[in-house]
Amino acid sequence: MACASGGKSEGAAVPDQFPVGLRVLVVDDDVVCLRVLEQMLRKCMYNVTSCSQATVALNLLRERKGCFDVVLSDVHMPDMDGFKLLELVGLEMDLPVIMMSADGRTNLVMRGIRHGACDYLIKPIRDEELKNIWQHVVRKRWTEIKEHDHSGSMEDHDRQKRAVDDAEYASSVNEGADEVLKAQRKRRDSKDEDDTEFENDDPTTAKKPRVVWSVELHQQFVSAVNQLGIDKAVPKRILELMNVPGLTRENVASHLQKFRLYLKRLSGVAQQQGVLPAYCGTVEQNLKLASLGRFDIQALVASGQLPPQALAALHAEFLSRPAGNLILPAMDQRTLLHASLQGSKCIPVDRNVAFGQPLMKCSSNITKQTSQSLMSNEDVHSEFAAWSSKHLGDMAPACALGSVNEPNSDMLMSFIQQQQQKQSIIPEPSRSINVQPSCLVVPSQSSPNFQAGNSPVSVNQNRGFRNVAVDHNNPLLQSNNSSGVGQTSEVESKPPCMLSEFGAAGSVSSVSSCSRNVKDVACQRVPSSPSTINAVLQVPNMNCMQGSYNGKLDMVQGSTRNSIYVGKGTFIPSRFAVDEHEFPVSNVSHQVKHYVQNNANKVKQESNMDLTENLAWHSEAALAALFAPQTTA
Amino acid sequence: MKRALCPVCSGSIDEQFLQLQQLQDESSPNFVSEVVNIYFHESEKLLRNLREDCLVVVDKEFSDYKKMGIHLNQFMGSSSSIGAQRVRNVCVAFRAASEQNNRAGCLRALELLEYEYCYLKNKLHELFQIEQQRILAAGVRYPQQPNNP
Repeated sequence: MACASGGKSEGAAVPDQFPVGLRVLVVDDDVVCLRVLEQMLRKCMYNVTSCSQATVALNLLRERKGCFDVVLSDVHMPDMDGFKLLELVGLEMDLPVIMMSADGRTNLVMRGIRHGACDYLIKPIRDEELKNIWQHVVRKRWTEIKEHDHSGSMEDHDRQKRAVDDAEYASSVNEGADEVLKAQRKRRDSKDEDDTEFENDDPTTAKKPRVVWSVELHQQFVSAVNQLGIDKAVPKRILELMNVPGLTRENVASHLQKFRLYLKRLSGVAQQQGVLPAYCGTVEQNLKLASLGRFDIQALVASGQLPPQALAALHAEFLSRPAGNLILPAMDQRTLLHASLQGSKCIPVDRNVAFGQPLMKCSSNITKQTSQSLMSNEDVHSEFAAWSSKHLGDMAPACALGSVNEPNSDMLMSFIQQQQQKQSIIPEPSRSINVQPSCLVVPSQSSPNFQAGNSPVSVNQNRGFRNVAVDHNNPLLQSNNSSGVGQTSEVESKPPCMLSEFGAAGSVSSVSSCSRNVKDVACQRVPSSPSTINAVLQVPNMNCMQGSYNGKLDMVQGSTRNSIYVGKGTFIPSRFAVDEHEFPVSNVSHQVKHYVQNNANKVKQESNMDLTENLAWHSEAALAALFAPQTTA
Repeated sequence: MKRALCPVCSGSIDEQFLQLQQLQDESSPNFVSEVVNIYFHESEKLLRNLREDCLVVVDKEFSDYKKMGIHLNQFMGSSSSIGAQRVRNVCVAFRAASEQNNRAGCLRALELLEYEYCYLKNKLHELFQIEQQRILAAGVRYPQQPNNP
């Protein structure tokens, strides 16, 4: 894998082998799609890891930073929205994320693009499409490198940035961009005399290193802007208010430009519920972090109830995020929120002071690069607060935020916990703007979920999946899977059973027919012995297509009763019909026993051989499929 | 195992199923049957859920239709992934009915869906049976390799 990763960077290592070994993480709650995708990706010579739960995938990404190159994620997942995962991955790991869905309608695809997806694939996904996903990895890298080159020159640094920003403005899909641009130009023109004033500093500036917008610096910027008012904030005045030595008006101007752009986009969000404004270029990276806040804020704003104080408080929370050793707990944030709610809505200074506090506690652990991006986002939030206070009018803060408060706090808490776990954020040297820190995180289940074997989540690390049923045997007996263990004992105590599953009549073929040898492929009718499990396994008669499918899916019996597919590998079809009330594990064991007996140990041996390598994934995948129903409606 | 689609399954499955067959190789010798079985398992869950969703749904009760939409979407995804073309098409119609909060339409679509699914299941089983017989006829040896302990 090392050489593969090297191959992905520009021209290094083994270019001709790229994209072989591309490390892909596939996330899809649909086990069928997951399995198919995994196989397709493997055929593309990629290194595949599959995962059926978004939270687990996120943990996986966090724990193994730098171990994946691209993420494929489904849009509709039960534990986390695919778009949210998309944003988080983009923010925290800055990986290209490709969305997938059976729903390929335009509005959904649009949402995917707006959330930052590199691509949007519509199921069924063909392997040709998967063969091409490496392009997103390469494109992302090269874009980063280009940006770095862009900002490499010291002398023209600020002017270049402005040029780039202007270009971004021009190409921005945001219709408001033009207005902002005009406003910017007007301001710049009106401040021409200031330009001459500062021209003396320009040579000095040119020699100075690139300005990094640290958290504190950005906070000062935001305070200054808030004091002046967003409409009146001009770089010169901002500079004066900030009173930071060595900072030039150009620095402030370019920063302000980005800030306004972000605000404009946010305002677009407020107007169009649920539609996130498009980001572009370097600004996008700066604001990626904000997108997470947007995720929550946008919903709040869309509901027209988010007061500026709430935004300020949220902003403060974001500001406090980068602190690795942030002592300020979510508690204080809550207090902050409440306090801000109580107060009048138009005390920008107080607001700033309020969320200035956490900043003081921000450690400098994070790299400047990280803070810079953070700052810009946080600025936006407070800026948005200031902006919204003017535009959104009076709102009822208490009730609005009250409902939002808890989830935010919870998220904050979990986020802070997450943040404390992360020691350092790896900066990307190629870019000065780097969005790395993790953001609001879905609470609670993150860590426990990803303990191997504890959650019925299939996480596959490039393992072949051969025999479905057989593998269940070992995990049941050996694995530490808590869910499996609990079930295992029950399973083993039950008499061997099962057979070809097709159709479940609600009677468990729990006992007798197991012992029969089905080598002759004739399925025997399982006597309807009373079963403790309301299982579904029943061996239908051969060639007996009984009953059409009814609501309980019980009586469908295919014409093929063969429970063994003789071939290169042996195969036991897993039960086709599974009653929700049954113990899935018992089914599994039934299959296994059946399998064992029917093949007179011949196949068993081979399956055992397969088991060892396919153990975990199969068990988890199968168990996931089996255990999942108990939670669904 | 690159063979043409069995005419038995004509109409029920499409080229995607062919792709599945092409994905099967020495390292995943039972890939197709494995995936199909997972599909059956998942589908029956989903169909059960859909039936429940239909039964509890009342016109204009947004949340229930939403659940239905989620189940439908998943069913559509898995069906299309294995090439169950007709099932998928019915899902599309089903989704349209649910988005219009059309309870009667949903029930009709559900019946049709169940029918198509049943049909597909039978066809696939026939396909597997034929395949198995073909293999038997070809005299594939039983796995008695010495490397098996």
